[in-house]
Amino acid sequence: MFKSKRRRTSGAMDSKPAKKESIEAIIVDSGAYSIKAGLSSIKKPNVIPNCIMKAKSERKRLFLGNQINDCRDCSGLYFLLPCEKGYITKWDVQKPVWDYVFSHNVCPINEKPVIMTQPLFNFKSIQDCMDEIFFEEYEVPSMFRLNPTDLGRLKYIEDNNFTQDVPCIIVDTGYSFTNIIPYINGNKYLRGIRRLNVGGKLLTNHMKDIISYRQYNVMEETFVINQVKEDTCYVAKNILEELKVAAKSGSENTIVKNYVLPDFNNIRRGYIQDSSDLSRKEYEDNCQILRLNNERFIVPEILFHPSDIGMKCMGIAEAVVKSIYSCPNEYQEELCKHIILIGGNCNFPGFKERMYNELRSQLPHSWQVHVFQPKNPVSYNWEGGSSLLKVPDFKTYMVTKAEYEELGSTIIQQRFNTWMIDNSEIKEETREKEEILSYLDNLKDKSVFGKQEPGENVSKTDSDESDTNIQTSDGNMNNTGQNVSDENNQDSLCHNSETDIGSKLKKTQLKTNENATETLDEFYLEEEECEDLRNSVDLFPLGNGSYL
Amino acid sequence: MTISKSTLRGSNRIKENDKRRIVDETSRKRRHRKIMELLESDNYHDDPHADLVMSKKIPKFDDNLEHRNTRTKKKERTTEYYQFKYRKNFQQLVDEDRAEAELNKRVSYMDIQCEESPLPPRHFCAVCGFLGQYNCLSCGTRYCSIRCMDTHMDTRCLKWAA
Ligand SMILES: [Zn+2]
Ligand SMILES: [Zn+2]
Repeated sequence: MFKSKRRRTSGAMDSKPAKKESIEAIIVDSGAYSIKAGLSSIKKPNVIPNCIMKAKSERKRLFLGNQINDCRDCSGLYFLLPCEKGYITKWDVQKPVWDYVFSHNVCPINEKPVIMTQPLFNFKSIQDCMDEIFFEEYEVPSMFRLNPTDLGRLKYIEDNNFTQDVPCIIVDTGYSFTNIIPYINGNKYLRGIRRLNVGGKLLTNHMKDIISYRQYNVMEETFVINQVKEDTCYVAKNILEELKVAAKSGSENTIVKNYVLPDFNNIRRGYIQDSSDLSRKEYEDNCQILRLNNERFIVPEILFHPSDIGMKCMGIAEAVVKSIYSCPNEYQEELCKHIILIGGNCNFPGFKERMYNELRSQLPHSWQVHVFQPKNPVSYNWEGGSSLLKVPDFKTYMVTKAEYEELGSTIIQQRFNTWMIDNSEIKEETREKEEILSYLDNLKDKSVFGKQEPGENVSKTDSDESDTNIQTSDGNMNNTGQNVSDENNQDSLCHNSETDIGSKLKKTQLKTNENATETLDEFYLEEEECEDLRNSVDLFPLGNGSYL
Repeated sequence: MTISKSTLRGSNRIKENDKRRIVDETSRKRRHRKIMELLESDNYHDDPHADLVMSKKIPKFDDNLEHRNTRTKKKERTTEYYQFKYRKNFQQLVDEDRAEAELNKRVSYMDIQCEESPLPPRHFCAVCGFLGQYNCLSCGTRYCSIRCMDTHMDTRCLKWAA
């Protein structure tokens, strides 16, 4: 993408010819919740909370980042966060945290080049400030900034030995928001990008609210409830089935769990109580215990249906489908084979499976759907830093301190901001594809369980049929739709009259997993056959973006 | 309203309901906005040590950059310097971005916001979290049963806020 924009300055670093030398750099993925930082030569980054905390129990000090590990009592922690909706607005918080991260405590810069992430469309004045801090105060010799998913994409391509033009779509679901970003020919296809204003922060705050309403007032315990969320929440395979189990009493309810809250005396982090472990029983009797039932899956459900809390926004899987259909026709089918899930919310058990199931049922039958989630969805983007350094000639794309001084912020930011960007318009024909979604119109104004909303006169059976059709369109969720059409569905939920749902659920799960593996095998087979093509294509992220 | 008379027959609440003032759409929207703000907030409580000033308590940037010979005193800046120079709230940033994007015909931060879903919304009981098929007559909050309705009426119903 650098084309003519790239200008060389005398004496910078252009004396060396292009060759595959290894550069060592500091890689920093600076997120709104945590900063992942480390030398490119190490395998795992340091993960540092991006905040300053004040503890009720410690009157004399502030806790920066991971210093919170030294804090004895983490109840009622007060947070100073540098970001608003994922973008830095509070420099009086961000600067001290960065000072800490780049000190010998974590990851000193030591005159090494710095690769730093910034959110999509990072605002101009934020970038101005970053330039000033890094070039002027930290005096970095050279720097490059790009979006975190750019690194994730490079890693995906490198790990799988794909060519740079393999289209993929990255779902990055983090603390402040969820971004869905299609990459075509190595560039972000801007017209296809979607953002949901749902992230981990909103989920934790929602959990605080419902627990405070139903049990204890935990409104001031963001730190603890965030851990409760991480320790207990999961994504349901099918929410109606899950609600049925949660409505049962006694041992039939396999969902309800007691969570022992930390007392910061003997228990530093809470945990799910094991009722068979009698040795702890006596101590736990004196602890505060949360009873978590449907909260465990209702909270992450907001990612899939933001309308559950009244947000006028589609769910994460729907948005992926929407994003794919916003891309040029010829790339849509290929994009479905490379759906990458990253970000902290991927750590909810069941997240990937639910994404696969929803995408499988919403995308055309004949298309392969492959969903990839890395082992560590939080540090995956950071890990892509070393892939970036392997880009031929990458060193020449970095902005040196001398260039910053000579060219100024506006010009160097253009370099950063036009990296891997495709701003082209879509061709008209692509719109046809959207009609596939038209079945959804049949469902308009009806609630999930097939009941009509007042004022609509569509017959009830119609809606039930279409509901069932969606879920079974790929044949691997046969069981899930059945009860929806049951006239007494609602009552049975409330009165526990259903039996053997546990085993039914298990069955569905097994089937779906089988199917997923099958698709995976097919997928890799086909990739092997394509090997020749791989070598012949020579496009790279820096290639020019217009392919239309 | 989807209240089924047969379910509620015999409840005293229904008589109360008839007299209850119905909270208008504007107030309902205001409540929703407040909830969304709460979900976006960093803290619910006030700073317990508001007097603890950061710049004084945080140790200075203490890596070896400090001792580099190229480094001049002039280059060290206080956090207040950056906060003052680059102080812009989120809305200002978004507005600037939108204006600049229009000028350069590029996609902006606001453009990528997701559309509304064509799927109908699902309804959960605000009290217990299970499916809720009834609306509160006063404020529209969902609930599932008389028991949860009673709890709602006694606690978060907008009739109290109005
Ligand atoms: Zn209820
Ligand atoms: Zn009410």
